[in-house]
Parts: sequence; C-alpha cells; structure tokens
Amino acid sequence: MTSYRFDRRQLMAGAAALGGASLFGTPAHAKGGVTAAIYPGNWDEQYRTVVAPALKKAYDVDLALEPLFAVDQVAKVQAARGLPPFDCFVLDPGPRVTAMERGLFEPFDGSKLTNAGKLPAGSIDQWGVAVNTQLVGIVYNPKKLPKPKSWKDLFEEPYVSRLGLTGFQTTFGTVSLIEMAKAFGGSETDVEPIFETIKKALPKVAAIMAPAAVPGLFQQGQIDITYTNTNNVASLKARGVDIEFAAPESGTITFGTTLHITKGADNKENAYKYIDTAISAPVQDALLKSSAQMLPVNKDVALSGDLPIKSLDELSKFVTHDWTKINPLRAKWIERFNKEVTK
Amino acid sequence: MAATTADAVVPPVGAPAEAKERIEWRLATPLAFAYMAFFAAPLLLLFWVSFHEDNELTRMGPGQWIRFLSDPFYVGVVWQTILLGIATVLAATLLSYPLALVFYAASPLARKLLLFIIVLPLLTSVVVRTFAWIAILSREGVINNTLIALGITTAPVPLLQTQYGLIIALMQIEMPLMLLPLLAVVQGIDRSLVEASRSLGASHWRTFFRVLLPLSVPGWIAGATLVFASSTTAFISQSVIGGGRLVYLPSVIWQQAMVISDWPFAAVASVMLLISVLTGILALGAIGRLIDPRSK
Repeated sequence: MTSYRFDRRQLMAGAAALGGASLFGTPAHAKGGVTAAIYPGNWDEQYRTVVAPALKKAYDVDLALEPLFAVDQVAKVQAARGLPPFDCFVLDPGPRVTAMERGLFEPFDGSKLTNAGKLPAGSIDQWGVAVNTQLVGIVYNPKKLPKPKSWKDLFEEPYVSRLGLTGFQTTFGTVSLIEMAKAFGGSETDVEPIFETIKKALPKVAAIMAPAAVPGLFQQGQIDITYTNTNNVASLKARGVDIEFAAPESGTITFGTTLHITKGADNKENAYKYIDTAISAPVQDALLKSSAQMLPVNKDVALSGDLPIKSLDELSKFVTHDWTKINPLRAKWIERFNKEVTK
Repeated sequence: MAATTADAVVPPVGAPAEAKERIEWRLATPLAFAYMAFFAAPLLLLFWVSFHEDNELTRMGPGQWIRFLSDPFYVGVVWQTILLGIATVLAATLLSYPLALVFYAASPLARKLLLFIIVLPLLTSVVVRTFAWIAILSREGVINNTLIALGITTAPVPLLQTQYGLIIALMQIEMPLMLLPLLAVVQGIDRSLVEASRSLGASHWRTFFRVLLPLSVPGWIAGATLVFASSTTAFISQSVIGGGRLVYLPSVIWQQAMVISDWPFAAVASVMLLISVLTGILALGAIGRLIDPRSK
C-alpha cells in the first residue's frame, strides 16, 4: 500500500504540473513581497532568472512566482472567491476577456508605472498593461520538409502526413485554427471549413496532440510541422532541435500578453513595482536575448536575433483577433474538435 | 473525559474485548475527521455542483446529467475509459503472472533483487516515465528504428497516439502496482502444497491452475484494483501518449473545468469517472470471490 500511495502522489504531482497547477509556488505575503502567476516553462524560467533579481535590486521586493497556465489562473482566482492565491495575473487575450467579464481584476492605474511612457499607445488600459508580444505561425523541420507558404499547405502532401494538430484549448491553437478556417473560406466566428478540412485529413495526419506534448513530439520526430508561438521555436532551437518558423502568406498572427492585478490582492503597491520592472528596458532586453526570445513592448529595446520581425512597427500589419467574439464560441469549438477527431 | 480515558487504559474486568474495540475506534477518529473534511465533504460538494444548470450555481436541475448521458460521444468516452482500464489490467496480468512464478521459485537473494528491480520504476516520476515512452514509441523511436533496421518493416509502424501504444505504456507504468500485492501473496504460498500436487501426479499446468492460481487470486485482485483505478485516471499518460484522438474522462474533466470553466458539466464527468472506477473495483471483487476457493 505504501508504494501505491507513493505512486499516486507522483501521479498527482505530474497531473498538477501538466494541468499547470503549482506545487512549488509559496505565496510570499510577507512585507516586501509579491506573488505573481506565471506561465510554466519558458516564462517561469526567465522571470525567475531575470525579473526576480531586477525587482529585488530596484525595490527590495521579493518575487514569488506561481507557475500556472492562463486558464488555470482564472479558474483558481474564481474558485478562491475573494482570497486570491496571487497578486498578479499574466494572461493571453482570451482568458483576459474571461477574467474581465468575471470581475477578477483590480482597476489598473497606469500612472503608477515609471516606464508607462516607453510603451506604444494603447498598451495600458483600465485593467492592465501589455508586457510581451507573441507571434504565432507555422513551424516545421527544415531538414525534412520544404518551407511551407500558407495555412492551406498544411493539408497538402508532403506536409499533411507529417502534421501535428492541437485544438482550441490554447490561445495559439485557437488563433491558428481560425486562420486556417479563413484560408478555406471561413471567418473569425465561422470555423466550420476547418472542421471539414480536418475531418478529411484525419486519416493522414501524424498526430492530434495535447498542447503540452508538442515540444516532445517535435523533438522525437513524430511530427515535422505544426503551429505554435516563436517562444517555443526559440527554446527548442536552443536545445538543438531542427525547427524553423514560417510566416504564412496571410500574415503572422500576433497577440499581446498582459499583466493584471488580482482583485483583492494583498500587495497592490508591490504588484505595480513588479509590473514596472517587467516592462523596464533592461529587463525586456534581457528577456529578448534569453533562450526564449521574448518579444518586448518597451520601445527602447532594439530587436535583434533570429526573429520573423525586424521592428515592432511591423506588428500593425500582423493578424489580430477579437476575443470578445471568440470567447462565447470557444466552448462549443473545443467540444466539436474532440468529437470530430475522436476515433 | 478523564474517566473515559481511565476506562480505556484500564479496561474493566470481564469486558476486555469491548474495551479493546473502543480504543481502536478512537484511534481512527483523527483520520475519520480528516476524511470527512477533505474527502467526503468535497465529494458531496461535487455531487451538488453537478446538479446545477448554470455556471454561477444559481439554478438547480438535472440538465447537465441529461446533456452528458444523452450524448453518444460522452457515453462513448465513459466506455472507452472503462475498456482502457480492463485492457491495462489484462495486459499487466499476462506479464505479471510469469514474473510472479519466477519470484515464487527464486532464492531469497534473487527475490530481493527482483523486488528491487520491480520497485525501481516507482522511484522515477510518472511524468518522466510517460515522456520516456514517447522516445520509445515515436516514428523515429527505439521500437520503429529496431523494426526498420531488422528489415521487418520499411515504413514506421504507428504506435504513439494509438490505443495499443497507450496500453503498452500504461502496462509498464502501472505494472509495479499489480506486482507488489501479487508477490506479497505468492511469497506466502506454502511450497509443500505445490510439491504435494506434483507428487500426486498433477502436471505443471494443472498445478498452476488448481493450486497456485486460486491461492494467489487475493493478491491479483488487490493489484488489478490498483491498476484499474490508476490507468482509468492516468491523465498525463492518456493525453501525452494517447493524444487528441483518444478521449478519456480525465481529459474531459480537465477541459470542462479549466479551459471552458463549465463546472457543473465537469462535476458530472467527475462523478461518472468515480462511478466507472467503483464499478470496476466491485466487478473485480466479484471475480475474486468466484475464483478464490476460500470464499466459497
């Protein structure tokens, strides 16, 4: 029995890690601390090594990071009913709209940020501030496949038999599938064409993946083409995996990642200091130059390295989406995707 | 309070058995309270949530249950989850029994070594073991590279993201749970029974089916119960190795609860998983009573 329990604990630990729930995040509600939710993986690693020391140095505030995916953050704060487990959210547009609708944010006062003037217009609103730009497009193995040109290519040979699909449960998955639907005649709110296309392609595709399995399956050669954000490409490349980003003809997708203060947060003032540090030029520069290549929002940071964008001004030409329209439809899409792909 | 404590410590003459029972009952109270607060209460809450029509939990009604049970997709998911548990139990049994026989015949030193090897995988996290299976089962993985190198196949055989691949991986991941109770029981089987059977003219097979198998059944039941419960709820292995085309209850629960935030529907799926696991466990218990000679 003892060994059984041990194994269960391991299993639960794994489930928690996969589901994004944190086992390690210890809330630092002591004076001089702030607890921030952070995406597991790249973000957690980089914020621990770059942002935490910078915050300590600038304001003598200790940063405790709680690794959670966006949807898990929203679910956790909602379940906590007024006693939030962390002071700051980091969110993608979809969960951001959900959290806004459910009233999980404190009103945000941009004038408290010393770096506010360094951000492009529109980066700060009454609920939070943009901290990072994500780029989403096609990624492929250049040693196995020629460079794909469009979303439609994914469903043609030689790509389709090496294609890994993920569903609507992530932000990058949702926006990519919407763009594919558009390529086949759909729109932001009509993804029917992509369901039909996937249905036809199912016997050929290499894998339908859980989002967490994407890096592993790419690394092991189970798939050679899929769609994800440039952060994932950068970190896989840093590990020596043959992977390249390919901007689709219809345009690279972009969305902003935003920071927000949780309603009822214990350390509001420290939260502003944390956010101010995260958007400061030296920190944004270090995050850009890290293995995750996190795209900055601070205008003082010069873009460098191997990115599908040379200047932040190009972002205006990229593809964006309206999540207030997507969110109400997403639950149905997730369910539909499950039903369409299940054997 | 002081009086009862004294009663317990110095049982009144003439009622020692009764006093002993009272002490045992009290020893269990902390655990009982912990179970009530942290297990029974949340479980009741889960049932309560599942009978709500809306996400804000304002309107009660059976709508979510009707939605789940009238949808062939979700009913299919329940069956697939149960079948996965059964298949894993069968696969683990086929591999565990030969090993149990080796263990039965082995010297004390060899037994220790075997036990160590069996327990070894438990010392690695399930996450690590699951991801290791990607490296083994993938297109360019160990199995496919070996098959191609030996000329058995020319194109890689699909293993990852198939039901067979998932059962193979789960069988290995869950095997210690089957083996440990089984070995504990096998170890206790009196060797003279086997010798008696052999000397009275029974073949090896007959001795196995008429002596060893019935006597080891309690261990198998315990192991099969653990493997069944663990494999039907193995969220990581199911989603990473099984992939998106094989949908089981744990991933439905996660999607509904975390991604879609439809808590009542997630609660329905959770209760269904609980019912599935309990049904499996009860069925195993019934099988055990059928086979075990001592229960007749």
